[in-house]
Amino acid sequence: MLGDIITPDLFASAFRMATPLALAAIGGTICERSGVVNIALEGIMLTGAFFGTAAVLATGNPWIGVLAAMAAGVAIASVHAFASINLRSDQVVSGTAINLLALGVTGFLMEFWYGHPGTTDPIAVLRPIFSFTSPGGGFFAEIWRWFNGIVLSHTPIVYITIIIAVLAQWALYRTRWGLRLRALGEHPRAVDTVGVNVYRGRWIAVLMSGALAGLAGANLTIEQVGSFTENMTNGRGFIALAANIFGRWTPAGSYLASLLFGFADALQIKLQVFRDVITVPPQFFLMLPYVLTVIVLAGVIGRAIAPAAVGQPYKKG
Amino acid sequence: MNSKMSKLLAVLLALMLVVAFVPACGGAEEPEEPTDEPAVEEPAEPVLKAAMVTDVGGLGDKSFNDLAYEGLKKAEAELNVEIKVLESKEITDYESNIDQLATAGYSPIFAVGFLMTDAIIKMAPEYSDVQFGGVDQFYEEPPANAVGLLFKEHEGSYLAGVVAGLATLDTFDDKLNGDNVIGFVGGMDVPLIKKFEAGFIAGAKSVNPDVKVISLYAGNFTDQAKGKELGLSLIEQKADVIYAAAGAVGLGTIQACQEKGALFIGVDADQYLTVPGSGDVMLTSMMKRVDVAVFDTIKSAVDGTFEGGTLKTYGLAEGGVDLAPFHDFEDAVPQAIKDAVEKARADIIGGTIEVPES
Repeated sequence: MLGDIITPDLFASAFRMATPLALAAIGGTICERSGVVNIALEGIMLTGAFFGTAAVLATGNPWIGVLAAMAAGVAIASVHAFASINLRSDQVVSGTAINLLALGVTGFLMEFWYGHPGTTDPIAVLRPIFSFTSPGGGFFAEIWRWFNGIVLSHTPIVYITIIIAVLAQWALYRTRWGLRLRALGEHPRAVDTVGVNVYRGRWIAVLMSGALAGLAGANLTIEQVGSFTENMTNGRGFIALAANIFGRWTPAGSYLASLLFGFADALQIKLQVFRDVITVPPQFFLMLPYVLTVIVLAGVIGRAIAPAAVGQPYKKG
Repeated sequence: MNSKMSKLLAVLLALMLVVAFVPACGGAEEPEEPTDEPAVEEPAEPVLKAAMVTDVGGLGDKSFNDLAYEGLKKAEAELNVEIKVLESKEITDYESNIDQLATAGYSPIFAVGFLMTDAIIKMAPEYSDVQFGGVDQFYEEPPANAVGLLFKEHEGSYLAGVVAGLATLDTFDDKLNGDNVIGFVGGMDVPLIKKFEAGFIAGAKSVNPDVKVISLYAGNFTDQAKGKELGLSLIEQKADVIYAAAGAVGLGTIQACQEKGALFIGVDADQYLTVPGSGDVMLTSMMKRVDVAVFDTIKSAVDGTFEGGTLKTYGLAEGGVDLAPFHDFEDAVPQAIKDAVEKARADIIGGTIEVPES
């Protein structure tokens, strides 16, 4: 039975489920490191998913859909950026408003463009890059089966996410841009004094988070499901927030935390198969991301400290 | 102007704002729905106004809510009834949606979904001259102006189980593997969905006692991506026929079946017709004729025979549940399976077989 639970597909599924979370979480990391709270990841993801699907339905090309999703994410994130940075409004309120806006706009446009609510027609999807078979038996074939299943069976955006996580981690901690970004979130006054434009730095960070969350939406619809359903993100944006916090506001941490949450979700499904032998209520796994985040925030296991100036609007001069 | 005048003006403006918002609030966005259909012949005033409140899945789920809407549209066409739909986006919308419809003079009002049972129990007495229909709603003591419309999903699911149990042993399609495993995907782990599961398992075991049935639950009726993961998991466990009773979640499971090669049994509507492009995996569907129940209830209201305070149950005998045609698999499915379904149907209607509900 353990052999039925621990399969290559369990880990492959973990990567699949982690990808949208990780993209949104890394976007959240970048945004919050610059000092802007981004509760709107859920709404941006949904918007990206919708416009990505719409673009594929219009052009038939999934990659154009991916680009459209990122563009839509940037567009709606700019609303949050303008409200939070230029108008200095409460960032949590602005983020929440975008979540509601996204839900409404996507539902409305679906009705308006396609004539019916609910689910769009199926679209052209992005297939896994490699497709090797797993031939024969024997020791090496088994190793190959595992390697193929876990590493080689994924769609493009899954790999892109890993690359983004590595790049972002490097950029944040090893480049001048990254140093300035982190400084914006800790002590914007100091950065301003040196002559760096605080507003522009934060704008760029928010727009980047928009692009990443939009890409997460594209992954969800163009790679995983193949159509758009109203509210299909189903709270993933909020789990991404938890992943960001649990990952201590670093891109690598966000990715690993998302992987953990994705693994828990995949495990929950597998365990359900053996419900008569192991009884763990699925709700336990549904609450796991949030419980872990609270534990980390409370400082019971390590401590996660937010950037010092996060959530505080900056006024120049 | 002096400060007293400006204060008065401010209060007046605020009042105007409040008044302007009152019609707009309560209930979530309304879909652009067929009240703008050009009335082909609407000679006289509509006989009455009927409405429905959807569950959080909303219209476009290709099954449950859409079917109820079909019943409403049929009433509009054949009985000259004015109809309206309000979609609930959140559970908190239920009561305000019902409220809005009742105040606007709609009767009967259908609350589509068991999650709204408490809302109806609470609101029916408040609007005692409005008629309510509760789809899938079981009342301990039905309110005098409400009728609970229940279905014997377990009976229809039994037939689905018979098909699945025999199909997995057969090889009439290359998606059927040699293992004796079938799968069930449920939405929420509640008694209603348990009926689907129990009937399915009983039907399968009646024709294939050694079959292994794996049941997985998504925890909601909307997460399509989850549905696909559940489907992939079942197929990995060698299930080659999967039955989903999970609303929009099942749409993701159809994807998994198409990607990895398994057959699918749909639910509520004839999903061969409602889900485009699914014909290559859609073996059949367990139809729950919500549209029939809704239409009949509206007709009873029109005829003045509305039976408030009762529960009406629609089973195989009443044509309330049944299997959809095999469509693309009509020629492939062996006669033995079709015969087994007929026999099971006759036995259930005749009372020889009693299908478990849990």
